[in-house]
Amino acid sequence: MLHKALLLVLAIIQINAAEYDTSILPEAYIDAAQHSTHTNNWAVLVDASRFWFNYRHVANVLSIYRSVKRLGIPDSQIILMIADDMACNARNPRPGQVYNNANQHINVYGDDVEVDYRGYEVTVENFVRLLTGRTQNGTARSKKLLSDAGSNVLIYLTGHGGDGFLKFQDSEEITSQELADGIQQMWEKKRYNELFFMVDTCQAASLYEKFTSPNVLAVASSLVGEDSLSHHVDPSIGVYMIDRYTYYALEFLEKVQPFSKRTIGEFLQVCPKRVCISTVGVRKDLYRRDPQKVPITDFFGAIRPTRVSTDRINVTLADEEDFYTDFDHMPPKKQFKIVIQPQFIAKINK
Amino acid sequence: MGLLSDPSISTHNKLVDSLAKHMRKLCYVFYTAGVAWFMCLALPEFNHGTYLSENALSPGLVYPEIRIDANRLALQLLEELQRERKDHQSTTPHAWIMAKFNEFGLETYTHNFTLRYPFGGGKEFHGKNVYGILRAPRIGSTEGLVFSAPYRPPSSVHDEITASVPVLLAFADFARRKNYWAKDLVFLVTEQEQLGMQAWLEAYHDGYKNYHSSSSYLVAGSLPARAGSLQAALNIEVQDLEVDYVDVKVEGLNGKLPNLDMFNLVQRIMAREGVTSGYKHAPRKRRRMNLSPYEQNLRQMLAMLATQATGVPNGNHGLFHRYRIDALTLSAAKRVTNSNVKSNPSSATVPLLKSIEGISRSLNNLLERFHQSFFFYVIVHNDRYISIGDYMPALVALIACSFVKAYLSWSTLDAAERHAQQDAAGNETDPVVFYTKLSLPYGFVLVYLVVTLVIGYMGNVLPLQKYLMELSIGAGPLTLTMLIALNVAGIALPFYVVLPPGGLELLHICMLLVYGCALIVIGLLNFSLGFLVAVLSVPMVVALNPSSTNGALRGLARLWALLLNPMVVIYTVVLVLTFYEFPELTFQQLLLRAVTAVMDAVTFALIDSVIYGNWLYFAACTVFFPLWIICWTLALAKQSDNEISQAKLKTN
Repeated sequence: MLHKALLLVLAIIQINAAEYDTSILPEAYIDAAQHSTHTNNWAVLVDASRFWFNYRHVANVLSIYRSVKRLGIPDSQIILMIADDMACNARNPRPGQVYNNANQHINVYGDDVEVDYRGYEVTVENFVRLLTGRTQNGTARSKKLLSDAGSNVLIYLTGHGGDGFLKFQDSEEITSQELADGIQQMWEKKRYNELFFMVDTCQAASLYEKFTSPNVLAVASSLVGEDSLSHHVDPSIGVYMIDRYTYYALEFLEKVQPFSKRTIGEFLQVCPKRVCISTVGVRKDLYRRDPQKVPITDFFGAIRPTRVSTDRINVTLADEEDFYTDFDHMPPKKQFKIVIQPQFIAKINK
Repeated sequence: MGLLSDPSISTHNKLVDSLAKHMRKLCYVFYTAGVAWFMCLALPEFNHGTYLSENALSPGLVYPEIRIDANRLALQLLEELQRERKDHQSTTPHAWIMAKFNEFGLETYTHNFTLRYPFGGGKEFHGKNVYGILRAPRIGSTEGLVFSAPYRPPSSVHDEITASVPVLLAFADFARRKNYWAKDLVFLVTEQEQLGMQAWLEAYHDGYKNYHSSSSYLVAGSLPARAGSLQAALNIEVQDLEVDYVDVKVEGLNGKLPNLDMFNLVQRIMAREGVTSGYKHAPRKRRRMNLSPYEQNLRQMLAMLATQATGVPNGNHGLFHRYRIDALTLSAAKRVTNSNVKSNPSSATVPLLKSIEGISRSLNNLLERFHQSFFFYVIVHNDRYISIGDYMPALVALIACSFVKAYLSWSTLDAAERHAQQDAAGNETDPVVFYTKLSLPYGFVLVYLVVTLVIGYMGNVLPLQKYLMELSIGAGPLTLTMLIALNVAGIALPFYVVLPPGGLELLHICMLLVYGCALIVIGLLNFSLGFLVAVLSVPMVVALNPSSTNGALRGLARLWALLLNPMVVIYTVVLVLTFYEFPELTFQQLLLRAVTAVMDAVTFALIDSVIYGNWLYFAACTVFFPLWIICWTLALAKQSDNEISQAKLKTN
């Protein structure tokens, strides 16, 4: 336990030194870097396409919404953008309901869905303003991404895409360059700690190609030149229900509980080519940590890393020991005993 | 350095000169290429498989929900209707149809229309359509779909299609129980064949305009209720509840077609429900003919051309096209009793009803009018088509003959003139002087063109004059007399008019240009008509040569021109059709019967143009007939006036 506490301190030191050459980083730092460092979670979930025959995109985004909400991100920290109203579409034989599966077990458009941007509010401009925090004066608080340097942000996009763009509504599109610029600006404005970018469209991998910002992990349902396909049809509604990649991602997420030990690494492999038909693309080079060691709840839940300390910690000023770079000769810390009180939640998790 | 507009610059070079020598051969090469290209289109390498362009249609994604009880309802309704028909020998049982619409919970309305038949002193015919609207439950009435069924009384001369109304009603009853309609559904029962449909459409779209107008022949009135902008329409003609096959009819007014997506949609849904269907579908026995796929394709194409060229819709769907509403007719043929396939009468109509449901749900998914796929196409086979880009080259190659000939004649015109003058005046003079002297009688030729145009246009106007219509002769004799009189005038014209020197050549070139332009325009509007006319007339136009001295060729051209006289063509076509229709008649009877048939044909064409807006009659009178008069003039022209001009020059 002591060791862990030490490492945490080291991690804080090393974050300050992150801009130095990474090849000579001490092993201790590498380990430390694998730890979650965020303080809060945000999710931006976007369905960019409209029209009844794109029902599946709305089902996609509502399903992801349902999962992140179940895993603990509060509605106030989920920005949900839906370009069309499928639930109340006149063609919907189940008025007010949206399903993501032909057996219609779960109505993903349940009682407590808060759509922040709807219909024609879902535009490229609004999306970019949302990401970069440049919302217009008078924008409601619920429509702002109020993240900070400690936020882990999940961005999920679905719709119709092509090589280097994602179509919004039926009239405009966001290019991969605009997306990369938006995320770079988020980084510069310290609007995220780590960012998980997930996109389910045709040629989805083209959307993350231009990213240069650090701490971004990206996954796409298909590579450039590939189509992302839908999973199945509900013949009683008469539309495709959900896309393949999202379907298998949900299959995985549905089994995840808030204190799960499942990792992002596992999540990246949910849709092998044999079931997805398209090849799932992953971009890890901007990401500092090993996805195999990152809990999935770092992005899909709101479980913050907590530690119990009996020490006094100065949260305003840096300690003297923070500036030690010579780890071997660091003065030993005082022995202390950590008492862990059994808690109710721990019992459940046994 | 000369300017391009300098008339003294010679327009001909060696290439043009050598081409001009082989002008006729060149034209025939173009002609053969055009026809060969068209023939090639029947080969699978030259046409394409159909596919659905419109995403929104999502055909076949829903399971049909219409069940056997709908069939039971249709059977019961058919029995009731058959009882009603005994009391309505020549009228429509409006009350019964309205009662049923009301019973199924539709908003029910009637629509009265009047036809003021203008000929023979004038008569009035009245008609009444019944329609019911099923309002879309969760959306404003901004868009609508039409499901229509024509009703024919027992006294009608056409095929009996009584079962259409019960099928329509059974589907209406099913549709009313569903909550997913995003467009209002209009269920329409029309009478008086296409007249009722035309009146209803006119009332629907222009009702507010012509409510008080009394000048038109068809008084459509207005409608008490509407259902927004109509997006698509499906017309149903069912001969019997036991359906053998479904013939999908697409040809509309003036050869307009519904979007290819709609045809494909119907084909796909029909195939899914296991209904035999197709374009120009023939009964089983005739389908067994041992024809190669190529021959079948070619026959199908020619059949489509023949239907389209008349511009007369082959079903009530055709009138919708005028209002940019995509529509087609499902014509379900009766199962012949000796057929091997036995069907259960209690479920016989279910596949057809399921198809109608499937089509309606796909149409319901439409977000805007059909616009993705082709509007100009030729159907080669049920799942193969030729797009406009593939068939236009055939027509263009044919018409290219006239432009090529016009250009080559124009550029060698001064050469011919020069030779004549050089012969006359010897070789001493500078040829440039003669180029500038070359003057053509533009004014005279223009007047001549206008005169022919006026003669043709008279055919369009004369039969509709008030004082002529008030005569107590029927429309047929009246129209025919007028047309024959104009024809005689046209035939006689060249005998009375002597063209000034050079006029014949100029007239020839003008004719070629006008002919080419007219055919291109007609071919774009109605490919079939343009193509058929081009195939028949281009060789004659190529053969025409006013300055040729070859007697045999001139004789041939004259004969050909005479045969292509519009009246002669109509008579020949009608004669051939009469021969096939009544093979038992003797030759003399046949000729006489064809005369009366021609009389009917021209009258119907005139009435079609007046009431429905079919422009075939107009085109024949105002475009083809004047062109024919000019061709006739050129064919009759003798070398004499050239000789006269040379004689005049000699005297100078």
